[in-house]
Amino acid sequence: MTLSPAHTWRNLATLFKAGALFGLFSANAFAAVAAKADSPICPAATLNGSQHFGVQYQLSGAQHGTLQLLRRQAQTAYFNPGNGVGEWWNFSVAEHPSFIRVFAKQQRRIDYYMGDLRTLNIHVSQPEIESFAAAHLRSQLRHKGAGSCADSQVYEGDYQQVHYRLLWSDSLQLPLQLTTEHKGQIKQWQASKIMPAREVDMLLSRWQQFADTDYADIGDNETDPFLAQMINQGFIEHSEHAVYNSNGQPMSGQHIH
Amino acid sequence: MKLKAIVLAMTTALAALALTGCGDDGDTGATGTAGQNGADGQNGADGRDYTAVNQWYTAGQATVANASETSVSDPKGRAKNIILFVGDGMGVSTLTAARIYQGQQRGESGEENRLSFETFPYSGLVKTYSSNQQTPDSAPTMSAIMSGVKTKDGIVSVSDDAVRGTCTSGQGHEVMTALELAEIAGMSTGVVSTARLTHATPAATYSHSVERNWEADSNMPQAALDAGCHDIASQLIDFPYGNGIEVALGGGRSYFMPSSETDPEYGRAGRRNDGRDLTAEWTSKYTDGAYVWNREQFLAVDTSSTHHLLGLFENSHMQYEADRADDGAGEPSLAEMTSRALDVLKQNDKGYFLMVEAGRIDHAHHAGNASRALQDTVALSEAVRVAMEKADSDTLILVTADHSHVFTIAGYPVRGNPILGLVRGVDGSGEAAATYTTDSNGMPYTTLGYANGPGFGFGNDPMNTDSYRPDLNLYDVTDVDYRQEATVPMGSETHAGEDVAVYARGPGAQLVTGSVEQNMLFHVMNYAADLAARAEANQN
Repeated sequence: MTLSPAHTWRNLATLFKAGALFGLFSANAFAAVAAKADSPICPAATLNGSQHFGVQYQLSGAQHGTLQLLRRQAQTAYFNPGNGVGEWWNFSVAEHPSFIRVFAKQQRRIDYYMGDLRTLNIHVSQPEIESFAAAHLRSQLRHKGAGSCADSQVYEGDYQQVHYRLLWSDSLQLPLQLTTEHKGQIKQWQASKIMPAREVDMLLSRWQQFADTDYADIGDNETDPFLAQMINQGFIEHSEHAVYNSNGQPMSGQHIH
Repeated sequence: MKLKAIVLAMTTALAALALTGCGDDGDTGATGTAGQNGADGQNGADGRDYTAVNQWYTAGQATVANASETSVSDPKGRAKNIILFVGDGMGVSTLTAARIYQGQQRGESGEENRLSFETFPYSGLVKTYSSNQQTPDSAPTMSAIMSGVKTKDGIVSVSDDAVRGTCTSGQGHEVMTALELAEIAGMSTGVVSTARLTHATPAATYSHSVERNWEADSNMPQAALDAGCHDIASQLIDFPYGNGIEVALGGGRSYFMPSSETDPEYGRAGRRNDGRDLTAEWTSKYTDGAYVWNREQFLAVDTSSTHHLLGLFENSHMQYEADRADDGAGEPSLAEMTSRALDVLKQNDKGYFLMVEAGRIDHAHHAGNASRALQDTVALSEAVRVAMEKADSDTLILVTADHSHVFTIAGYPVRGNPILGLVRGVDGSGEAAATYTTDSNGMPYTTLGYANGPGFGFGNDPMNTDSYRPDLNLYDVTDVDYRQEATVPMGSETHAGEDVAVYARGPGAQLVTGSVEQNMLFHVMNYAADLAARAEANQN
């Protein structure tokens, strides 16, 4: 998965449709969760400016699923409880983020260091990762006024042939609700639960204990049944050719990833 | 000059057949009589007496002349010191591509370039199979080089009596390594790697483990710990021979840190569950020792007074050479580590043994990323060059690889074609063609590629539906991050089973020739420095 500041949300619909956001949405990953049409949960005022919380999103409409965003300072993780796969970014050294792919069911981790991410052509934007990939999108939409939650704003508009309606939380700097409509197909991400810091800590601490393998060492460990399985499921690699150059700039605008 | 005369006569005869009517051969004197030399060797204007002026011919001739004057039969023990360089995964195709890459980086055509160790007087081919696999991993191959004994895949310096991962099966079957013998002999020893110091290749120099992944105690099953097996990192610190390893430089910091401590560069927890802080143990064990974890600290070490130096420059593996400048804390290059290691080791009058590994060539290949593999190979060449300049003449230097990779150099590119680029062939006149060479579906392809690996499949990119390949005209295939195409889809590119090269210079180097088993390299080192006898003598 390659994400750049310029590209991240341009292909929002594609990413969600393909079930490919950060690799979390494998085809069979979506549990049959009933779509909820009610309003998103509003964050408590005490969370204003906090960098230590979690948000659980419910996907409804053309696809169903659950995704948790976990934030602890410079760390942001996305976790799909349906398939137990998580992707955990650490921007403590902002220029050189580290990345861990979590497999909760197997209690295993694969750790990616700077060189690994570069060989995979993974170039990410911290604002996009931390904003549920909505930072750039928000700038492309029209501000429609205050939203239903305190400290929230509504944005709406068309971008890249997709119609978006975004309920944005100023206090969390995250979407509370995001609706996309493309060719008559509607999907909606909605915040359904604010996760307290202790729940975030519990998950991250648990993942920290998992047996870890460096991505660079996978080649020497293909006899490991877990790694073999993950490779076959396509979790390990996933990379196109040099879509971006070494500066993270797209080499060709016509390639959509 | 009999050969020269025969060649000249052949040339003249062929020219006469093909070019009837041509004039004199342009000699400054008369044309030489068939079967004899030309007059003065300056008759090359028309290329007929190429034996005097053709650069390929004369260069090869000079090489043979030099070699013919050399008859070496160094006696056992002539080498005081040994330096062993290992390029992890540095197969012959990697060497070829790297030499071209290095030459082209200097603005040259590239093919004529030689990596530093390609100037060594002796070389051979090495059979890399392990005792149970046709294509091996680094654990048994480095064990063979270091101990003289081939073993099974995944096993580090324990004979193949052991079963991988079964602690008790290896107990009593540990095999003595060249580094251990050197320590017992009173020599100084060093281990340098761009991989984790606990990774299979460096680990095989100083540790013994039935499982290469037992790098920290947290990587080991409780049964193995209960049975008395020890993790690899602890074996470096608890090294029982001589006065301990003098120099250990590389990556893998977290394997030496307790889980209660966080990494100074990344803030991640250490991997040790036993609570041991092995870096602190190093400095308390060796009062003349130092521990450093970044380049600034490393360069500040006084090598004249520091006799035990531990440097752990990354949480895991060190950066690829291509990314080293971007490292937040700063890392030394392989050449810098080699240089300073020699500064420490050379202070021992009894000599030294140093192993230096370019550990990330292998990783870049596994990722299907040729550019980084080549840059790390060039970095190894630079490290060898430093050793060539610093080591005294009584030093045996070996350069080899543990195994190869399925890395290929394909097509018929014109001389000087960018080694990372698309293949551009030659036209009818032998000059560079105007367009790229294409496959059977009209699509260009790169010179470098892999037989398998992650470079198969192209995401959502448009591709030619006949060949199922992307249009590489749309890509910057020379970019450092470019991933070369692979024929067979695999999550990770694999090792290859063909022979690797070995190069040698210094006392005993003449033993390196022909096609040999990998374990023979230990015996070359043992013969050259008489390690076993020196060790035995030093114990008495």
